[in-house]
Amino acid sequence: MLDTLSGAALALQKSITRSVGELMGNETDGGVPLVAMAGISKSYGGAQACVEVDFAIRAGQVHALLGENGAGKSTLMKVLSGDITDYTGTIHIGGEPRRFARPADAQHAGIAMIHQELDLVPALSVAENVYLGREPRTRLGTADFGAMVDGTAALLERTGIPIDPRRAVEQLRTGEQQLVIIAKALALDARVLIMDEPTSALSSHEVEQLFGVVSELRAAGVGIVYISHRMDEIGRIADVATVLRNGSVVKEFDVGSMTSEQASEAMVGRKVEALFTHESVAREAELLEVGELRLSRKRPVPGRRDPRGISLRVHAGEIVGLAGLLGAGRTELLQTLYGVGAKGRLHGRILLNGKEYRPSGVRNAMASGIAYVPEDRRIEGLSLDHSVTANSVLSTLSTIAWNGFLRGGSERDAAARMVERLGVKTASVRTAVGALSGGNQQKVVLGRNLVTEPKLLLLDEPTRGVDIGAKAEIYTLLTEAAKQGLGVLLASSELAELIGVCDRVVVLRDGVSVREMSTARLGEAELLAVSMGAASLDESRGEDG
Amino acid sequence: MNAAKGLEEQLPGTRSNGATVIATIFKFQSLFGLVAVFILATILDPETFPRPDNLLDVVRASAENGILAVGMTMVILIGGIDLSVGSVLGMASVGISVLLAQSGFGMWPAIICVLGVGLVFGILQGIANARFKIQAFIVTLAGMQVARGIARIWSGGQGVSITYQSQGGPVSDAFAFIGGKTFGGTVPIPAIVFIVIAVLAALFLRFTTFSRHVYAIGGNEKAARLSGVPVLWTKILVFGICGLLAALAGIVHAGQLNNGDPNDGQTYELDAIAAVVIGGASLTGGRGGVLGTVAGALLVGVLRNILALRGVNSDLQLIIIGLVIVLTAGLQLLRPASMRA
Repeated sequence: MLDTLSGAALALQKSITRSVGELMGNETDGGVPLVAMAGISKSYGGAQACVEVDFAIRAGQVHALLGENGAGKSTLMKVLSGDITDYTGTIHIGGEPRRFARPADAQHAGIAMIHQELDLVPALSVAENVYLGREPRTRLGTADFGAMVDGTAALLERTGIPIDPRRAVEQLRTGEQQLVIIAKALALDARVLIMDEPTSALSSHEVEQLFGVVSELRAAGVGIVYISHRMDEIGRIADVATVLRNGSVVKEFDVGSMTSEQASEAMVGRKVEALFTHESVAREAELLEVGELRLSRKRPVPGRRDPRGISLRVHAGEIVGLAGLLGAGRTELLQTLYGVGAKGRLHGRILLNGKEYRPSGVRNAMASGIAYVPEDRRIEGLSLDHSVTANSVLSTLSTIAWNGFLRGGSERDAAARMVERLGVKTASVRTAVGALSGGNQQKVVLGRNLVTEPKLLLLDEPTRGVDIGAKAEIYTLLTEAAKQGLGVLLASSELAELIGVCDRVVVLRDGVSVREMSTARLGEAELLAVSMGAASLDESRGEDG
Repeated sequence: MNAAKGLEEQLPGTRSNGATVIATIFKFQSLFGLVAVFILATILDPETFPRPDNLLDVVRASAENGILAVGMTMVILIGGIDLSVGSVLGMASVGISVLLAQSGFGMWPAIICVLGVGLVFGILQGIANARFKIQAFIVTLAGMQVARGIARIWSGGQGVSITYQSQGGPVSDAFAFIGGKTFGGTVPIPAIVFIVIAVLAALFLRFTTFSRHVYAIGGNEKAARLSGVPVLWTKILVFGICGLLAALAGIVHAGQLNNGDPNDGQTYELDAIAAVVIGGASLTGGRGGVLGTVAGALLVGVLRNILALRGVNSDLQLIIIGLVIVLTAGLQLLRPASMRA
């Protein structure tokens, strides 16, 4: 599907020299795996996080580690990276038995973990970050910036990462920052890279770039552990896969010989009904009409792509997708409609239920029947320290409370109903929301918005970092809610999600809605191509209203 | 719990009984600390320390700091800080003295005026912080200077003494009650003011939607805003309440000393912050409560009292109290991971 594009990316990568191997040392040969973990067990209190797990990483291999949240993936990788020390079992590195006492030991042994959180100093340049803590010196004893820049440039060129080493990290996009972290790990002679959900914050284009680098590293003999919830990525990038469930290895296979259904089944331990269950319903009344929406402000905010001409419609009972690359203005459109983050003059028209709607703040949006699930639940969605109850009733507190006084019982009842309706897995409604898994946290954010009984639901990346079981449940919830007449505007960088869940997709590019397509016969490659602006790809199709 | 159960059975947030006990201890760390210090003090000085009049005096001596700390708790709950409370206390004590002794105000008009000044001062700081997005630390650092300056101008740069009519002065004898005792001359009024404020604030922070908004803002301000919480007004009002309570503490201060000195109250803000921190609140907001803070303030009060009773010199007292603050802050690190942010 993506052959044309990724092919082009690969060709580009291959034209760059392939000498990363020199950087890695020469231990890429022979049958001895880079890392062999055997009989690894670890328990927290009474709960077994890992049970007798065997796991091997070979040079030049991308090894996918699959499993739902809580299956033991992170625990296993923390054992390998020296984060967890009180485990049982053995680890051999290049045939030598090792037991790491701290993360630094693992790093010295060539094992680098690329965290979901980005461990970079934003104000420093790429080169300074790469050399952080081991800066080359000039004869005067001062830091040798020239040497740093040269060394970093050489490193980036070898790995095919097109970033200027002099740029400050804070100016880079998330995907580029991720590549810098990889470069930094390589500079420290990493032979094993552990990548935990590396694409969760990347746009499709950046994913391609990352995959290019991963291919390059594989060719150079680096062993890579790849943790992801996205089956399509596993199919494209991984060589072998290990599936964990409840702390045990339940399946190992060559990626070429499996289907994503088989992998999903192994992960959840039962047959997964089709991930996407959405069927188009007859269109009901028009709910939202946005016409030539434009936001102008005196001073543009760097990194923000305000609407510059967006037109779209959402009918009641319809799920409309917002596609586009990172920086295409999807989040900004949703925020503008919700009345947040956009101080400036609005041009164009917004009709909600046929009546003119002027976004002027959260309370106005909520009163107009609009709900918004933000992109990052940890940053914008939840107060992690606080209970499920406190988080889930926050938007409806005034209807539950009596004249400004809380009614604890009613609140807990309301929270319990939400937990029941959305199938949130939690010990009680008093549990701190931060203790829940990502998928269940997301359900709490979703639930808080659904209980306001909105007419229009704005969703930004609703399944990011959510495991496959919870993902399917969220899709079902959305579909059900749409059947009840809710209109949904869903922004996502996951192409399969847009195509599988939505009735129609509107593609944004640089803050402009460039195309609207029915998802009925739409392929991912075509959607990506339109998002990237490759208008040549089968222009005749998809221009449908 | 059941060791045979896999992770899928173990719902997130499930705690064993042992973990619940530990969690409870940490939640009420300052209460347990207070009890421990109390027992220690009783052992060290079984004669004087446990006597009711001494204990009531501990509460009286903790009252000003306690009232400041209650307001500080709310500001810290929204993730802010208020460095101005000590100066506002000084300003209020000068204000009440001037209004009563020089401007001929009656007692209640004077009290209401001074409380109003504190409220407005707090609200202005709240506006600077919430509306104009200047960091609370900076805003209130400036507010600290401004309030001190106002206090000096208002008083003409020197202490204003309160002389009552019964002593031949201008001030109504009614105001003398603040420094006095009630219930047959046993319970000091400042202690009662402190306890009433603490109880009201504890109820307020537990049973009102406003308080839920306070916690929500401290827990995650962006999430609160997107959920429809009126972040701006809540923050402004919290600073207002803190200013109001600082003014109240200033009135108590003047009533106890029969004097309003523009230089009083310096570094009181730090004692208030210390009480809140010992009380287990998180300086990043969203976690803490009045109960913990009150216990924190009393803990310091008991400590000061027993050290004084044992004749420990005041310089050494400072060192010991400093160590206690660091110790309790260090205790936070021992919290079970599930309780940390």
